[in-house]
Amino acid sequence: MLLNVEKARKVFGGLVAVNDVTFQVPEKTIISVIGPNGAGKTTFFNMITGIYQPTSGVINFDGKSLIGLRPDEVTTKGIARTFQNIRLFGAMTTLENVLVGRHSRAKTSYLDAILHNSTYKADERAGLLRAKELLEFVGLLDKRDELAANLPYGEQRRLEIARALATNPKLILLDEPTAGMNPQETEATKHLIRRLRDDQGITVVLIEHDMRVVMTISDNVTVLDYGTKIAEGLPHEVRNNPQVIEAYLGRGAAAGEFGKTAEGGEAA
Amino acid sequence: MSAELFFGLLPITVVDGLSIGLMYAMIALGYTMVYGVLEFINFAHSEIFMVGAVVGVELLVNLLVPTGLHPLFQLVIAIVVAAAVAGALAVAIERVAYRPLRVRNAPKLVPLISAIGMSLLLIDVMRLILNPANPNRPFPTAGSYDFFSQQLDLGFVAINFKTITVFVVVMLMLAGLVYLVNYTNLGRAIRAVAQDQSTSSLMGINVSNIIVLTFFIGGALGGVAGVLYALKYGVASPVMGFIPGLKAFTAAVLGGIGSIPGAVVGGLILGLLETLAGTYLPLMTQDQIGTEYKDIVAFGLLIAILIFKPAGLLGKAVAEKV
Amino acid sequence: MKHTASLPDRSMLLIASTIISGIIAYVMILQKNNIESYFVTPVVMFFCFNLYFASAWNVSRVAKIVAFVGVLFIGIPMIGFTNSLYLQVAVTICIFAAMSLGLNVVVGFAGLLDLGYAAFFAVGAYLWAIFGGTQANEFIAGNLFPLNGNLVFIFIPIALFVAAGVGALLGLPVLKVKGDYLAIITLGLGEVIRVLANNLNKPINITNGSQGVRIAPNPETSPLAFITVPLSEATGIPFFQMQLTMYYVLVLLVVLAVVIFTSRLDNSRIGRAWVAMREDEVAAQAMGIPLVRTKLIAFATGASFAGAMGVLYAAVIGFINPNDFNFERSTQILAMVVLGGLGSIPGVIFGAAIVVSLNQLVLVEISRVIGLLNLPPRFDPTQYQQLIYGVILISMMIVRPKGLIPAKRNPAKLENLEHGELAKGVK
Repeated sequence: MLLNVEKARKVFGGLVAVNDVTFQVPEKTIISVIGPNGAGKTTFFNMITGIYQPTSGVINFDGKSLIGLRPDEVTTKGIARTFQNIRLFGAMTTLENVLVGRHSRAKTSYLDAILHNSTYKADERAGLLRAKELLEFVGLLDKRDELAANLPYGEQRRLEIARALATNPKLILLDEPTAGMNPQETEATKHLIRRLRDDQGITVVLIEHDMRVVMTISDNVTVLDYGTKIAEGLPHEVRNNPQVIEAYLGRGAAAGEFGKTAEGGEAA
Repeated sequence: MSAELFFGLLPITVVDGLSIGLMYAMIALGYTMVYGVLEFINFAHSEIFMVGAVVGVELLVNLLVPTGLHPLFQLVIAIVVAAAVAGALAVAIERVAYRPLRVRNAPKLVPLISAIGMSLLLIDVMRLILNPANPNRPFPTAGSYDFFSQQLDLGFVAINFKTITVFVVVMLMLAGLVYLVNYTNLGRAIRAVAQDQSTSSLMGINVSNIIVLTFFIGGALGGVAGVLYALKYGVASPVMGFIPGLKAFTAAVLGGIGSIPGAVVGGLILGLLETLAGTYLPLMTQDQIGTEYKDIVAFGLLIAILIFKPAGLLGKAVAEKV
Repeated sequence: MKHTASLPDRSMLLIASTIISGIIAYVMILQKNNIESYFVTPVVMFFCFNLYFASAWNVSRVAKIVAFVGVLFIGIPMIGFTNSLYLQVAVTICIFAAMSLGLNVVVGFAGLLDLGYAAFFAVGAYLWAIFGGTQANEFIAGNLFPLNGNLVFIFIPIALFVAAGVGALLGLPVLKVKGDYLAIITLGLGEVIRVLANNLNKPINITNGSQGVRIAPNPETSPLAFITVPLSEATGIPFFQMQLTMYYVLVLLVVLAVVIFTSRLDNSRIGRAWVAMREDEVAAQAMGIPLVRTKLIAFATGASFAGAMGVLYAAVIGFINPNDFNFERSTQILAMVVLGGLGSIPGVIFGAAIVVSLNQLVLVEISRVIGLLNLPPRFDPTQYQQLIYGVILISMMIVRPKGLIPAKRNPAKLENLEHGELAKGVK
């Protein structure tokens, strides 16, 4: 298992946001985490990435515990993420956003930067080459010198992915990668996520509301409701699980396909 | 230092410390209320305090003393006017220097710098008005004002009427504030805006008005504190705001910024600690460590709080939404 | 800005103008006994225009360098031989420009508001004033002091590290908490340093209290005396004037070094991390940027520049007292940074030049006129510097928050792979 979460729990005041969730991610898979609004999905991501510390439980990545690590340390261990409400560095160019992602992999020290020595030059060169590769990968190479704030919405989401990839992750957490996209963009993003696994060998965990995306690209789906894991399994198993349908539609509405109801995306 | 001297000084030091602490608390309320609503340190607040003090003293000296009324009555009038002027000034500053920045959603650094600028500007404008060659304005002491220097002997400690006045006025103001914030519609609106501006505005609260009101109340409390400070220390001057402002902010952080009871608790603790330090450090070190070091004690306390309990004594830790 | 490409090339005009101003200055030196002092002002302004043209016109790199070197390294020192006031102002501008560049790293690059910057300046200044003068004899036996003036060059790096250390020590607890608090903590630090400077004359007299510390001027032991004394003898220019010129060249070189340092930091992964952090701390941290360490680097960098400049300040001015390092000093440097443009290296230098010239030339002049007109002394503008800083801070934030010369980021480009130093050494 690349990521192994056991009985992770997060309590805010009296509210149990994540309730003893056990969650496992094998290498080179695409796992979706779904659930109604306020189910604790983003809190769960924040716990893995070190923004919140779990109240109790175990989080192991690559065999090592992530408990007590700061977000930047988690990133250095090999977990990258994107954000539900896009958080790019708007005043920097597309290329620079990706270069910032390289921060933890670059070796330039304070002194190297001042002296402009060979370490600095090699580092900058390597960074630029890698950034070029990544921008090509997400199809933003020709937008490289534009300010991130000026990119259209769909491209900003892809830039966030490229920026996350620049940290050289083994595992990438995508928080609603297709939110607010039109069908063509959604389709392209789906393709991109598959290529993350197939071409780059990266394991992907995503929070997603668009069930057509979830059902077609996931190897496995985990369902959260009120902070508790209520189902887990192959996409078609989860789709037909009565408990899941109930969580989405309420009691007594178990018939029909729930996928269409959840397109709106989660309010920020 | 003998035990006799040590304990002999203790009661008056404590009383003094508490009265200073109460004044810090009054100033701290201005910082903490604005911070609660806007998450912004109003650096100009220490100068609003100063303006209140100068207005109060000038009013007493030029208009009220000649009337021959009882000094307490004069003081009340001066306090009311100083509070009104200081409150109005706070609102004006908000309009001129902060609101334009808030409206265009400027980065956090921008209003902070503007506030610093406002603070500097007010100091020098006041120096210009008062004449920089002689900017100090002594609090009246002659004639009937002798009253404030008289001592009330409680047996274990003799307190002068200056200190008693400070206690009484601050208590009344605090009671009024607690009533306003906790038991009136306006108070509820203030608390709602402090929690969540956008939801409050959806609930029909005019957020802009509440912000103005918060500045007014904070400013008025600062103005009252200014007059009391001038009474206690006998002088008002353009540069008097800097140190009490810094201390009051420390008190606000100590108690938990954004928390009204926190500001009071923080003020009292800080006032007490620094007065004890200011009295006993020179005594215990044969004057090798002077009274001025009490400022370092206050500042050390601020750092210690930020290290060990950044949310303050009564504050709640809040995690940023991601 | 992008239209400059279509403007005519004025390189030759700029070079000509620089040479003409140089010739005028040279004539002035030759005729110095026949020339009234107010004649100097237009020449200085001519120099300043050349600097402005060099930055604003569309000129070649060579012409730019000719103008800057010509004016800064030749023109201004020449003026200094006839009228030392302008040279003194130029020295002060350089000292403050270097400090503003340091504060710019903290406030402009990293977005951290530091209101006690003068404290680090004080650390450096006291370090040299105490050991470079006789003050250290008060608490170190053996009558070893004053030290040889040339040791100032050892004290500069010492102050650099001491100030950085003080900054780091203080920054560490503070930078962990919310950014707003940093402003107030640094404000407190400024106050603490002032209290210490004022009171550390007992039990042991370290700082000489409120009277301040003086370094007695001494041609034998002053910094760079081994160059200044023979030069002064050879040219017949009085020693102290020669010394001032030496100091000017020295601080100018320091400014140049600081410009190179800070712009290189800005264009490295450290500079990008600062911008990222300023834009969005959560996202920056998720990209693997350790927030506290990255902020601390900015804070300590700024502090170290101030410390180093403190040493030079003490050496040049020869007298310091606690009031040189009060809150007003910190806000003065902040006003320079804000006026010129947060994060803008040329802007910050420009801001320092404006504020210093305003204080030392314009206000003094107005004050003289007020004296001549017999107006009441309370309207003397030299006593209202805080008012000026306040107006600068507020009006810039409201009207032009990016400053007079807004920061132009020089973003990394893929084209850098083919040209410039990154392309070198590639097979």
